[in-house]
Amino acid sequence: MATITFITPSGESRTVEHADGSLMEAAVQNGVEGIDADCGGVCSCATCHVHVDPEWTDRVGPPGPAEQALLELQDGANERSRLACQVKINEALGGLIVRVAPR
Amino acid sequence: MTDLPDPFRAHRQKSGVLVCPFQGEPIPMILGYKELRRAAKDWETFSNDAPFRVPIPSEETVRSVRQLPIETDPPDHTEYRAITEPFFKRPLLPDVIARIQELVGRMVERALERDQIEVLSEFSLPLQAKALTILLDVPESEADIWVEWGVRVFSVGDAKADGTYLERYLAQRLDAAAASPGADFFSVLTQAEFRGRKLTREEQMGFANLAFAGGRHTVIHTVSTIIDYIAGHPEALGFLRADAKRIVPAVEEFVRIASPLTHIGRVCSKGGEVLGQQVPPGGRVALCWASANHDETIFEDPDSVKLDRMPNPHIGFGSGIHSCMGAAHARLLLRTLLATLCEKVGRIEPLDVQRHIEKEATYTRITGYDRLVAHFARRA
Repeated sequence: MATITFITPSGESRTVEHADGSLMEAAVQNGVEGIDADCGGVCSCATCHVHVDPEWTDRVGPPGPAEQALLELQDGANERSRLACQVKINEALGGLIVRVAPR
Repeated sequence: MTDLPDPFRAHRQKSGVLVCPFQGEPIPMILGYKELRRAAKDWETFSNDAPFRVPIPSEETVRSVRQLPIETDPPDHTEYRAITEPFFKRPLLPDVIARIQELVGRMVERALERDQIEVLSEFSLPLQAKALTILLDVPESEADIWVEWGVRVFSVGDAKADGTYLERYLAQRLDAAAASPGADFFSVLTQAEFRGRKLTREEQMGFANLAFAGGRHTVIHTVSTIIDYIAGHPEALGFLRADAKRIVPAVEEFVRIASPLTHIGRVCSKGGEVLGQQVPPGGRVALCWASANHDETIFEDPDSVKLDRMPNPHIGFGSGIHSCMGAAHARLLLRTLLATLCEKVGRIEPLDVQRHIEKEATYTRITGYDRLVAHFARRA
């Protein structure tokens, strides 16, 4: 479990306490704007695209091959992009800040 | 139904392309996952601004209107899509979810009460039609009319399925909605505006035509695939029951493995070379979803069904700006179906399974069903 802050495309900051599961699940359960998660978390739809704040990229880690294949052609993707469904929350991510990518 | 031969593997691995003639037009089929997604994103090179020619084979003989929003490019496409996209998000609403659950429960109960059913005509087709009435917010009795049209609402080369009855029906419903608008899909079309004016009747027909054609045999095929798989894999329901979270990835895997739409067309207005193949100006390429969804560089053991496959970056609902607008509806229906089968059904016995063979000049794909008879046994 960890505390995660999501910053939405409209600039709203949403902090989720005791977040568990994946980043996507934490966002959906707390109604974070811009995280649609149409495919339910299998890394197929890219509607949970976030940018990880620079100081957290090492701890969050890079995308896997399938996620990278999806992100390569995603509008607004950069070296800090992750799909929230593929990031598992653990205690080392306590305090993480991610920005929901605009679509 | 698992481990079916992948008719595109050799060409995908060798050159990434397979040229196949359709209606006399040689069309290079893009087979690789990454190359396909790149082409689907590049709408300026691979255009949809081509009435009747986005589907392959072309559909000039089975409809008289340009399908909207799919047969347009931005900026028109962006504005057209925005008109009906909110309606296609209705499956996220609690009352729509509840109605789909009630419908699926009722259909599965009916199947359980029979000694045997022919799944296509007595389960998948009526389920698709009745679910569409919920999506479009029209009376369920309308489904009785739609079921009469058969699995394909129109079919190129089939004189009995030439699409005229669909267009006649749509015109009648749009007339009625214009005279007395409600909250249903047809009324939305008659009230909608595009750049400050009402949609023309031809545009309304174009939207409605796609709503009926796009999600018909695709949904029927995928529902039937699920039934056939469970019939052939009695352990599957127990696996899904053991963890309710497995329903979602299982549905995505069924969409990948079914890939009910083999391919779709794009027009190269300027022509050029595509994966070593020359395309003349105005010529077409095909985006082969069925091949890309089996690309071994993306999917491990791609021909096998893995109900908990994760990640699963399939493109069974398309890719890019034209991705399937009915995806939320299809996902709701299929997830509800699997959950209901887990709840009510002990096993499904296959009695007669006849696969459909899609035979083209340069490939043969086993896809869908011509007949699927099964016995549904109630869960103890």
